[in-house]
Amino acid sequence: MSKGPVDVLIIGTGASGAAAAWRLSEAGFKVVCLEQGGWYRADQYPTAFGDWEFRSATSFAFDPNIRRLPEDYPVNDKNSDVSPLMFNAVGGSTVHWTAHTPRFHPSDFRVKSLDGVADDWPISYWDLEKYYDLNDEWMGCSGISGDPANPPRSQRPMPPLPLGPDGERIARGFDKLGWHWWPSDNYIASQPYRGRNACNNCGPNGLGCFQQAKGSTDVTYIPEAIKNGVEVRTNSRVFEITTNSDGRATGAMYYDDEGIEHHQSARSVIVAANGVGTPRLLLLSKSRKHPDGLANSSGMVGKNLMFHPYAMVSGFFDDAEPNTFKGALGNILMSQEFYETKSRRDFVRGYTYQMNRSTGPAKTATGFTIPPVQWGKGHHEEFALRFGKSALLAVISEDLPEEHNRVDLDPKLTDSNGIPAPRVTYKVSQNTRKLLDHGIRNAEKVLTAAGAHRVEATPVHRSGGWHLMGTARMGTDPATSVVDGNCQAHDADNLFIIDGSVFVTSAAVNPTPTIQAIALRAADYIINERQDLKA
Amino acid sequence: MPTAEGQLTNSDRRNMKVVMDRLVPPVDDLPGAGSMGLLDEVERMAEEHDRYRVSLVRFLDALSMDMSVEAEGGFLALEGEQQDEALKEIESSIAKEFANVLEVVYLAYYSRPEVHRRIGWRSGPLQPLGFTLPPFDESILDTVRKREPFWRQAPD
Ligand SMILES: Cc1cc2nc3c(=O)[nH]c(=O)nc-3n(C[C@H](O)[C@H](O)[C@H](O)COP(=O)(O)OP(=O)(O)OC[C@H]3O[C@@H](n4cnc5c(N)ncnc54)[C@H](O)[C@@H]3O)c2cc1C
Repeated sequence: MSKGPVDVLIIGTGASGAAAAWRLSEAGFKVVCLEQGGWYRADQYPTAFGDWEFRSATSFAFDPNIRRLPEDYPVNDKNSDVSPLMFNAVGGSTVHWTAHTPRFHPSDFRVKSLDGVADDWPISYWDLEKYYDLNDEWMGCSGISGDPANPPRSQRPMPPLPLGPDGERIARGFDKLGWHWWPSDNYIASQPYRGRNACNNCGPNGLGCFQQAKGSTDVTYIPEAIKNGVEVRTNSRVFEITTNSDGRATGAMYYDDEGIEHHQSARSVIVAANGVGTPRLLLLSKSRKHPDGLANSSGMVGKNLMFHPYAMVSGFFDDAEPNTFKGALGNILMSQEFYETKSRRDFVRGYTYQMNRSTGPAKTATGFTIPPVQWGKGHHEEFALRFGKSALLAVISEDLPEEHNRVDLDPKLTDSNGIPAPRVTYKVSQNTRKLLDHGIRNAEKVLTAAGAHRVEATPVHRSGGWHLMGTARMGTDPATSVVDGNCQAHDADNLFIIDGSVFVTSAAVNPTPTIQAIALRAADYIINERQDLKA
Repeated sequence: MPTAEGQLTNSDRRNMKVVMDRLVPPVDDLPGAGSMGLLDEVERMAEEHDRYRVSLVRFLDALSMDMSVEAEGGFLALEGEQQDEALKEIESSIAKEFANVLEVVYLAYYSRPEVHRRIGWRSGPLQPLGFTLPPFDESILDTVRKREPFWRQAPD
């Protein structure tokens, strides 16, 4: 049975879907969000329990293939150098994210013009600037303006999170080498903010935030959207976006938690299911007008998957007491000394360093970015060297788009509703490899300058597919892109895609502020230019 | 060897206890992970999470079917160093399962309050206490603030 039409149907309530739902509802659009996951209360997060490390390795693991909750879908990643990570709940992957929130640089939108690689974006940094600011305010940004590596930005809503003694030590390491560093912008409240508590430095903020200090969209945009009348329909898994004989979107078919099929009709559909879930859904939505999948006349749906492969470089310090687990895990400082292309290097584009802390005892033993502590003889000595005495520089590399890196539908694997699961094919490119090696060598210098007595590098962190981008790219040419600069599909003028899928290139920073800025801008386009979609 | 339903037999339990002592040996006044009585906890965790359960069963199968171990009268009859050798062989033949078994043993061991006391970790939930850190001090920016803006301009 079809449920009566709404103005906008949004699929997914993560970073992008929630931002758009709020913005559209402010302008009076009638919005329904379909979300395959459910709500989590703060007191259900692992850090509320003594066995939080067991929970983080199992039912709250980053990898859906390990978690295997009914609301998760499996991903075949056997042919991928990196495993995609995500969370399926109200708030999406922002429930899990660490909320490190740098912005793209102006140059990131013009890589073809500047460096002769990939493609320019149809929009610029300056088109997004006011949406970055708006998003910083709504998600709650802690930080400090004045970073010389980035264009000036408005005063941050809250002061930076504490650097901690470990952060200060690494900062001095960068200073010694004369290299750039800056306290990171983070969507974590450093002081009470809009009814949310300040961060109390518990550490593993990728496990949901008990204090609601972390800006996940279930505590930022979604409550406000609901106040504006948005309906968030949970445990509702979309398996097809429906279209009419003209090929325009008419709504979506979905299963409820009892496996019963429903149809929600809508005057427009926004897909916000992330860089893996969105191409999956588009490829599932074949019709006479869209024989290769919805909005796929270019053949680009699912192609050009980008991850930001990470190299991880750990430094170990001779501290008297273990203490490097105090403070938000990855929300300390970053360096963009090597962000831009330099002609003397053997690679194009660049990377950001993001400092990370260490974590609890079991995670230290099982290893996160380095192999587990050895078993047997020498176990306790090695554990003591690592526990609470390490810091990590993550090398976030720019990942250039390549068509052979892609998401398609697995011929056999299905989710708990029997819907075909996505299959990911991805190889780290030569350019990325060179860039990561450069990053590893320089990270070793920083950590040594900071006083590390031992440094250990992981060339590519396989379980590091946090950032899912590029699989429904934007562009001006319908032959080579899926959506235009306003996120409107070239093949259906009432279909919008607003998540990381639309990225043309990846830049070398965490993507979510940019995803959300794009989503807010797309919502404004609908509000200002597409009043025809409103009843 | 575990039963067809994946239940551990008494002999599996005896083996596993010694395996756990080899994996995480005694230190200071703490016994090894097996003698600490953590097998029940490992079994509980394996029951709750299939990846561990399947791996534990495969691992114990491999241990009881290892020819060289069998020839010596079983795992328990081996000297400590020989037990380590046998475990290394299994580790290289079923690496993924071994890694999962090691993970669940570490998870059980490093959740114990007596272990936490020894390593200097506060037991219990991380919240609502968290940790205290001194607030951000801007003077740390003195050096980097001297740098001129160096972000790259781009055509509009
Ligand atoms: C552990 C971790 C740490 C991270 N840390 C950072 C960080 O520090 N900084 C940063 O910038 N980014 C980080 N990220 C990435 C960030 O979380 C994502 O970029 C962001 O959440 C993507 O937003 P989205 O809206 O595209 O998708 P998501 O937030 O993933 O939301 C997609 C939503 O769609 C729903 N959905 C999917 N398919 C369907 C369907 N068929 N039917 C119904 N609903 C569906 C999902 O359940 C989900 O709720 C991290 C991610 C992870 C996993």
